[in-house]
Amino acid sequence: MLAVLGVFFVYPLLSALCTSFYDWDLLTPPRFVGFDNYRAVVASGELLASLGTTLLVSGVVVLGSLLLGLALALAVHRPGPLAALARSAVFSAYVVSWVSVGLLFLWIFDADAGVVNRALGAVGIGPVKWLTSTSVAPFTVALIVIWKVTGYAMVVFLSGLSSIPPELQEAAALDGAGPISRLLHVTLPLLRPTAAFVAVTSLIASFQLFDVVRLLTQGGPVRSTTVLVYAIYEQLFRDLRVGRASALVVVFFLVLALLTWLKLRAFRAEAAA
Amino acid sequence: MHRRAFLRSAAATGGAAALGSAAGCADREAPRGRVVVPFWFMYGGRNRATLETLVTRFNRGQGEVWFRAVFQGDYFEGLAKLRTALAAGAAPPLTHVVGEVVPYLAEAGVLEPLDHYPGAHELPLHPALGQAGSFRGGEQRPLVVVPFNRSTPIAYANGRIYDAPAAPATWLELEQTARALTRPGRFGFGCPIDWWYWAALVAQAGGHVVELDGAVTLGGDAGVAALGFWQKLVDAGVMKQPPGRDYNAWEQLSQDFLAGRVAMIWSSTAFVRYLEETADFPVRALPLPRGVRAAVPTGGTHFVLLKSAAQELKLAAWRFVRFVLEADSMAFWASETGYLPVTTEAAGRLEANGFFAKHPNYRVALDQLSVAEPWPWSKSLFRIQREVVQPALEAAVLEHLDPGVALARAQKLAQVSAL
Repeated sequence: MLAVLGVFFVYPLLSALCTSFYDWDLLTPPRFVGFDNYRAVVASGELLASLGTTLLVSGVVVLGSLLLGLALALAVHRPGPLAALARSAVFSAYVVSWVSVGLLFLWIFDADAGVVNRALGAVGIGPVKWLTSTSVAPFTVALIVIWKVTGYAMVVFLSGLSSIPPELQEAAALDGAGPISRLLHVTLPLLRPTAAFVAVTSLIASFQLFDVVRLLTQGGPVRSTTVLVYAIYEQLFRDLRVGRASALVVVFFLVLALLTWLKLRAFRAEAAA
Repeated sequence: MHRRAFLRSAAATGGAAALGSAAGCADREAPRGRVVVPFWFMYGGRNRATLETLVTRFNRGQGEVWFRAVFQGDYFEGLAKLRTALAAGAAPPLTHVVGEVVPYLAEAGVLEPLDHYPGAHELPLHPALGQAGSFRGGEQRPLVVVPFNRSTPIAYANGRIYDAPAAPATWLELEQTARALTRPGRFGFGCPIDWWYWAALVAQAGGHVVELDGAVTLGGDAGVAALGFWQKLVDAGVMKQPPGRDYNAWEQLSQDFLAGRVAMIWSSTAFVRYLEETADFPVRALPLPRGVRAAVPTGGTHFVLLKSAAQELKLAAWRFVRFVLEADSMAFWASETGYLPVTTEAAGRLEANGFFAKHPNYRVALDQLSVAEPWPWSKSLFRIQREVVQPALEAAVLEHLDPGVALARAQKLAQVSAL
């Protein structure tokens, strides 16, 4: 087991760390440049911009999938064929491949011929540049990710709802609590661990975002949807800069490690409480 | 109707590709005693099917070499794989690469000099398309490329909408045409915000992206004028800039054109066959307008042999290169795809057999070669293109930045990027 970890996890990470100190294009011999690659990605603004875009998209995705997943779970957490159909329909988005999702939304969000803008146009709202405006495109990407992962969030919340003992709801009802009060004081507090799990998985999914960006925007317009993983891809495969790509990988790893540590700390604090 | 036409064309192309692939599969079992030569190529659809037909013809036409064509994604994905393969010592003997990256690969010492290969300097290449014509100073360097699928940007007009006898001859006429053809739900003109088309405008405005002395000026005033022209058309609402980058944007614009949402587009001559077969309206190919002078860049790819391959494989690969450049093969390739016939013999063949007379759209790019602009032999050219110019063009057009400021900023970044 240790050997597997060493070969497939530790070695690549150490290799990326080592390569980040070299100027290398895979064709000519690597040249040691110290921290120049880190300086370059900071000085060009690429690191800050791609990190900012990643955090923005991730924040919207986590918030959106949490709220929407919870709302949908509450709506369909009931017996009957209609609810079952709704559950299946919502979850089906999660199993569709990213490539299909990308192509589908490329058509849906086309500024001139997309169905969304046609619908908006029918009610007198001017065309929205979903994919060609630097201020709108990151949110469009986030929206698509939310659409894709909300089904998963809903299923997890449904599982959480099923694990709440019905006696608690009945007792609260007997004490005079209405539906809103039961939701706020019984259901939501008991769903906190589930919500934390959904938040972590959504965060991880959005940090790994690549396919939809590659298909829909290729990081543009300008660099507005260049998330960190896509920036790494561009440095390595487009610009042939292995060193700078490795520097971004190291930073990406550190950010993920920090987020994981914060999350673990929160979990432990909660468990202790 | 558009959808049906598109599906019909897609089905036809897919069927052809499937047949080609099936033939390719059947041919993959190389007969004993042949030298097996892997060849990495980077396009799909009809171009792929046509190339595989050429490979099959070559394999059947002689008994010593067996070519194995391997698809590697688009140009840039293929380049990434090639580089990785070079680092791993597993590169094929033959592939094809875009012009912008040739100086970089040559300076890195991975390309095989071809000067001593049989007949390398006797190939009847069109003067604008060989190494000497494609790169400034290309004739002074060891020969490392042979043109393969070469192209120029051209204009395509919807023949039902644009019925003027001639193409817009100047930038002003293009602007007037774009305005005249624009209607609610339809742009008069469309062009990807892409380096290649900007380079065309820069040259037409009398500038050079990289000066003769190697200085990266991004065209100076000509670069600003080129960018300003785009901004003017976009801001006036008469030019569509498609979403996405690179070939995604090109493909998107093709779809808009085919659906009648754009009346005239700039694209590559490589799309001529596809657009003609898919459109349910007559497609007219037209030359680009002139600015202070007429000029177009060339595009597409060149054959390159990789130095790291075994000599036996490189010699076998060279035989295939010679075969593709034979008049029959090249005329077949050009007439099936829309790419330029890179040899004068093939162009003469297409002229003599009446192909150009019957398909005038195919000779627009060939005629434009008289004003083809060579690329600079600059190692940093592809990085200037990808890292500096492309984002600057997008930012200036989409965020309405002053073109002078945007390009000055890009030029500053180019000084760093060029390292």
